[in-house]
Amino acid sequence: MSVLSALAEVKERKAPKSRKRRSGATASPPMAASPVGSGPPERLPYLLDLYPLESAAQTRLSPFFEALHQGRFTTTRCRKDGKLLWPPRVVCPVCHTTELEWVDLPATGRIYAFSALLAGAPIGQEADLPRVVGLVELDGVPLRLFGRLLGVDWQACRIGLRVRLEPLALPDGRAYYAFRVTP
Amino acid sequence: MSENREVAVVGGGLTKFGVRPVTWAELAQEAGEVLFRSVPGLEASSVDSLFVGAAEPERFAFQSHVAPLVAEQMGLAPHRIVQRNELACASGQSAIRSAYAAIRAGLSDIAVAVGVEKMNLPSMAEANSAMACVLDRPWDAAHGLTAPPFFAMVAQRHMLEHGTTEEQFAAVSQKNHRFANANPVAQFYDKKFDREKLLRLPLVAPPLRLGDCSAMTDGAGAVVLAAADRVREFTDTPAWIRGTGQYSDFHNLANMESLTDWTGLTRASREAFRSAGIRPTDLDFAELHDCFTISELIEYEAIGLCPKGEGGKFAADGRSDLGGDLVVNPRGGLLGCGHPLGATGIAQAVEVSQQFAHTVDPSRQVPDPEWAMVHNLSGSANVHSVMIYQRGG
Ligand SMILES: [Zn+2]
Repeated sequence: MSVLSALAEVKERKAPKSRKRRSGATASPPMAASPVGSGPPERLPYLLDLYPLESAAQTRLSPFFEALHQGRFTTTRCRKDGKLLWPPRVVCPVCHTTELEWVDLPATGRIYAFSALLAGAPIGQEADLPRVVGLVELDGVPLRLFGRLLGVDWQACRIGLRVRLEPLALPDGRAYYAFRVTP
Repeated sequence: MSENREVAVVGGGLTKFGVRPVTWAELAQEAGEVLFRSVPGLEASSVDSLFVGAAEPERFAFQSHVAPLVAEQMGLAPHRIVQRNELACASGQSAIRSAYAAIRAGLSDIAVAVGVEKMNLPSMAEANSAMACVLDRPWDAAHGLTAPPFFAMVAQRHMLEHGTTEEQFAAVSQKNHRFANANPVAQFYDKKFDREKLLRLPLVAPPLRLGDCSAMTDGAGAVVLAAADRVREFTDTPAWIRGTGQYSDFHNLANMESLTDWTGLTRASREAFRSAGIRPTDLDFAELHDCFTISELIEYEAIGLCPKGEGGKFAADGRSDLGGDLVVNPRGGLLGCGHPLGATGIAQAVEVSQQFAHTVDPSRQVPDPEWAMVHNLSGSANVHSVMIYQRGG
């Protein structure tokens, strides 16, 4: 397929390739949403670290991960100037207040740009190529977030495709997320 | 500022760049060998300060505190300032900037700036992890962001917004590889790439192919910087540092205003040109950070060599080649020479020094150059570092 054809703005979305759900899923920790499942088993990525850093003992941003475990996608907003902050923070970079509040983010959006890693994967992601990734414009908020794109091959991916945030569980119990292309 | 605190790069040298059967520390020793061979007037005892550009020795060599290690490997005993500079892909230029600042401030008279990187390892997945963590690890890199897909998205948006083509990307790669074929230290000195071959290479991150991406490279290099009253001990063609600019405006990709409009580079280069008192049209050549072909195209636009969106045409029309408006990357660039992160900025400064001294291969010698610009980006083009050099003598 021509690389250029991947550039066309989407008018009509093509249905993503149907992928069979992996049966008898591994004993993963409780998660609100479904884990990644597809034909050849996709290995879930680790976070390029050596141990979890998401608990309340390690980070003041643990509410983000707790909410994600419940299927909610959140970030912080400054109570003083109203600025929506990504990634979530503990101090506003504009006014430097610590008065931030947790707010829910929309779980849907559209692809602004994408590519795929076909070679040269980091540790933990080697068996997981090609890996389709992209920038997603969330609906109704001024945020463009980077994430993995599930449910679409890079050859079929298009700018403008609709996506939905999908909370996922890592094998070690941590919460994680990706974006799944939706019909 | 008194006139005698002006600062020049007075010489330097590079190891062979490539996939090298040597350790990190051995590369530092090689940098010492080539430095003292390339700058005959240099005595170890006269080097008062050492700045070491090294992006990721903690992961590439399991070693931190590398500044004293490098001093020992090179046989130096700095007694004023010894430090490491880490700014990912711009670590080498960062070392030069710190040496420049130290001499300007009167804290150093003769300083050495070194760059070392050993990137080819038994586990390239580990090397790729190190590279990924240049980006925002938990919020971007852990989701699969590494340099190739990032610059691929930049390329995709540039194609969409401005009609830029794969053939225009290949024009950049072809030019820089051709120059590298006349640069014996280059990683791809022996490898020929014509446009058709480049367009057939495998995709790494669509739309970018192998020939659009700089390589993982082992290499090192060193330059000497001297205060004005010491310059003549070393050279008749000093490379005076006349202007600098640097800008950092985001880290997480969500906070990048535009993928294709690199305003940070526009700001950094304006500051550098302002402090040097020249305009882009005064330049005789430029060493721009072509980590990917798309980078060089957008850099033309951000610096003001051509209007926004016309970088692809600028390259394809030969306007960044010898004989064009401004020759870009006569060294061979990162695409042709390889990109040993910490050593790249040093290699660009060595190129400026050698171009000014007319000691490069005639096929890539810029005719009588007086003004040169050096640029590095780092990370996701979120930091831009610019220096302007003028030939003395
Ligand atoms: Zn605020």
